[in-house]
Parts: sequence; C-alpha cells; structure tokens
Amino acid sequence: MRTEDKLRNNRLVFYEKDIKRIDRVLEEFLKLSGAKLALLVDREGHLVTRQGAPVEFDMDSVSALVAGSFAATREMAHCLGEDEFSIMFHQGKKDSIQLTLVGDRTLLGIVFDENTTIGMVRLYAQEASRRLTDIFEKSDRENREETPMEQGFANDAKDKLNDILGE
Amino acid sequence: MVQINFARREVNCKIVYYGPGLSGKTTNLEKVHEFAPKEHCGKLTSIATEGDRTLFFDFMPLNIGTVAGMNTKFQLYTVPGQTFYESTRRLVLQGADGVVFVADSQKDKFDENLESFENLRRNLKENGLSIEELPLVIQYNKRDLPNIVDVKTLDKALNADGRPYFEGVAVKGTGVMQTLKAVSGMVLETLNTRHRKTRRRPTPDTSAIEAARDAGKTATKEWTQPGPQLIGAGTRTARAAAGSARSAATPQTRRTDGHSRQDIRRGVPGEAFPSRADTSRFPRTGDRRPLNTDTAGRDTRTIQRFEQKKTNGIWIAAAVTVGAAAALVGLLLVLFS
Repeated sequence: MRTEDKLRNNRLVFYEKDIKRIDRVLEEFLKLSGAKLALLVDREGHLVTRQGAPVEFDMDSVSALVAGSFAATREMAHCLGEDEFSIMFHQGKKDSIQLTLVGDRTLLGIVFDENTTIGMVRLYAQEASRRLTDIFEKSDRENREETPMEQGFANDAKDKLNDILGE
Repeated sequence: MVQINFARREVNCKIVYYGPGLSGKTTNLEKVHEFAPKEHCGKLTSIATEGDRTLFFDFMPLNIGTVAGMNTKFQLYTVPGQTFYESTRRLVLQGADGVVFVADSQKDKFDENLESFENLRRNLKENGLSIEELPLVIQYNKRDLPNIVDVKTLDKALNADGRPYFEGVAVKGTGVMQTLKAVSGMVLETLNTRHRKTRRRPTPDTSAIEAARDAGKTATKEWTQPGPQLIGAGTRTARAAAGSARSAATPQTRRTDGHSRQDIRRGVPGEAFPSRADTSRFPRTGDRRPLNTDTAGRDTRTIQRFEQKKTNGIWIAAAVTVGAAAALVGLLLVLFS
C-alpha cells in the first residue's frame, strides 16, 4: 500500500453532503420503523450523525460504549469461529437498543420503545444499513480532493489546550 | 483514527493510556477530570469491577472548543492493565491516534513495565499501527514512593526512541496535564502533516475557502454526487429474535490505594426533532401511530382475534346443527323401522 493510501485510510472524513444524505436515510428509517433515535457511530466510538428524539444522555459516552460493546462482540464472534456478529440487541424495560454494522467502519445504533417491535426495527434497519453502505461505497469511489484544514490549526489547538490544561 | 466531520464541524482524536496494572492510568484520567474546567470535560465513564479495577476501559471526552471553525475533541481512554485482559487491551487500542504509556516507577514493577511496553508494541502492530510512527509519550509515575528506579534507568529500558517523557505523581495531579498536553500536541501536529501529505491535487477554488476563513467560518467542500438510490423497502422478511448481553464476572484483585472512581453525570441537551421527509415512495406513509392500530386507534390484533373467534363460532354452530339433524334422522329411521 502506498504511503498516501495508508495515511488516507488512517482517518475518516465526513463531508457535509455525505451527512445530509445519511440524515435523510435515518429520517426515513425512523418514520418507517417507529424507532425513537438513530445514531451513526464510527468504530472508534466517535459520533458521525444522529437523528430522532432529543436525548438527555451524554452522546459522546454512549457512542464510545456502543463502539466498545460492538468490538467486544466481534471478539466473541471470533472465538466462536464467526467473522462478525452484524447485529446486537439489548432489551430494557422501556427502551431497547439495536446495533447494526454498516459497511466496514460504522455502526448504526437504534433506540426504540414499546411503540414498535424488534421485527419492524430489524426489517427497516437492514434496508437502512444497505442504503448507508451504498452511500459510503460511492463516496469511497469518488475521486475527490481533500478539504484542507485551516493553516495553523495545530498551533491554535495547542494554544487552546494550554488555556484549558494550564501552561 | 482521526475523524474529521465537516457537517458537525468536529475533529475527534483518540488518545489511549496504556501501561501495567495499577500504574495509574485511571488516576490520570480522574485528575484530568478533576482539574480541567468542567465545561470542557464530559462524563468520566468507567467500566470497572467491584474492586475498582478497570474491566474494559475508562473513557472521558475532552472538548477543547472551536479551533479554526472546528469543534476539537479528544476522547481519552484507558486500557485494563491486568495481564489476562489482553484481548480487551487490543480492542481499546484500535484506531488510537496517540498513546500515553504510564510506567510504574517502583523497583518491583520494573519487569512489568517492560512486559507491558512490549505488549503495547505487539498490539499496535496487530492493529496495523506502528509504535515508531504513532505519537507516544511516557509518564514515569509514582515518583513520590520509596524504592523507585531512577528515571535514567527507566528511560534507558523503555525509551530507546527518545520519546518525550514526564515524571508524575498522578494521585496528586503532578505531571498529569503536562503529559496530556504533550501527547495531544503531537497528535495535532500529525493531523496537519497527514492532511498536507494526502492532498491529491491543489484545491481549485481556494478563494472561497480564504473568504470563509476571513469570515471566521470553515469552508467545506461538498460532493457533487446525486442522491442515494432508493432500495425497495419492505421487501425483506423481518426476523424476530431477541438477545441479551451479559457481562462476564471474573475474579479480581481489589485496589488497595482506597482511591475510588468518580461518576459524575452531566446531561447534554439534545436537539430538536428533524423535519419530516417525503416518504411517499415507501410502503407506509410516514405516520407515527403505534403499530397494530388502525386509523381510529383501535388495536387491530384484538379486532382480528375477535373476527377469528366469530368465524370459529359460526362453524361450530353449523357443525352442531348438522350433527343434530343427522341424529334426528337416525332416530326417526330407527322408530319407523
């Protein structure tokens, strides 16, 4: 692998237009499935985008836990001779969450309650996952230019760090 | 793996604290949480055992605010140090952008430090990362204790590449912030370097970006690709299945330093519900009424059960009538014969 390709693979860049398309898919998914909330999280636990009802929980923590939980499940799958478990489901008294693998690098977390059923969520989640995978594949194929970070981004960020953490 | 999200105007970086068991990785995170301004720290989440030993990871987001129009966040993780959590350590290390190796300075921990450092090298390699290329800072912790190895000896054993290192007393917060600042700075430098290296060709329309920069906004380059193709919804059969997750209990060594974890909850206000999109091409019309109800709000499953019972009743009545008639005919035949 060329150095350029290696470095490209070392990060995830989401452009505004990608996110708009992803958001449209998630919106439609929520309407069809009756789920409350849909989160798209990358495998490192960073939130990519979300659609649905307002939430009171810390989205960063939930995203990290979703990714951690999925990573642990994958190890379990390896122990059982599977490549991957593509779906995980946690049932609560009121709310439940289903995690679905989308492509290679992202996870779709769906929060739903008794207003819908696991079957409906699973049905439409499969569709949504396929459509999101299509979006990612198209974006990967597209020969696009990088949007440069602002000049001096690192220095400005380090100044901020000094302000927050002390000199 | 750094995530750059131009839609959310966010840059996310992952920093992992690595090291042998009880070297002070979690304490480092706790002190950052304690000393950094509250508005910049998210919730400190620990997946730990009853004995306060890290089972999976500790996690804390640190938001340094808007830099050049991008909200810049560091996600801080620790790994479980105990030897038998090898696979868990490898998982947490996935996609790390920077690593802090927290070494225990005590003499009897010397070999554990070496072993853990080799383990770090091996796990990075398994995750497709190279210890030589990754931003790495070493913290020699517990410098206030007796029976410690001198820094020169530790550095010779652990830091052959001449990485930045700091002496620390994490329980008092000494060296914690310096360590974090050093590794964060290295990650940010790498981010700039990577961006410069990976540009395929110069951006043609730099004037727009310059103008946006002048206006204090971040310029974004959007795709020109048409919208996603619709895939026929409702064509696949739903598989109803339910599972539940159960965490495995493992015998643990309890912490002996009496240093408990913090668990500070801080709610994050959510955003408004999005506007509805056109769903006319889908089989359902996008209404959000509960499932199994008709437009009048009646439970369709109850109605179906009632209809089924009614049908069954008619059949039973018909069968009884036919039976009774047959019996009557039989009786008459017997009487007349």
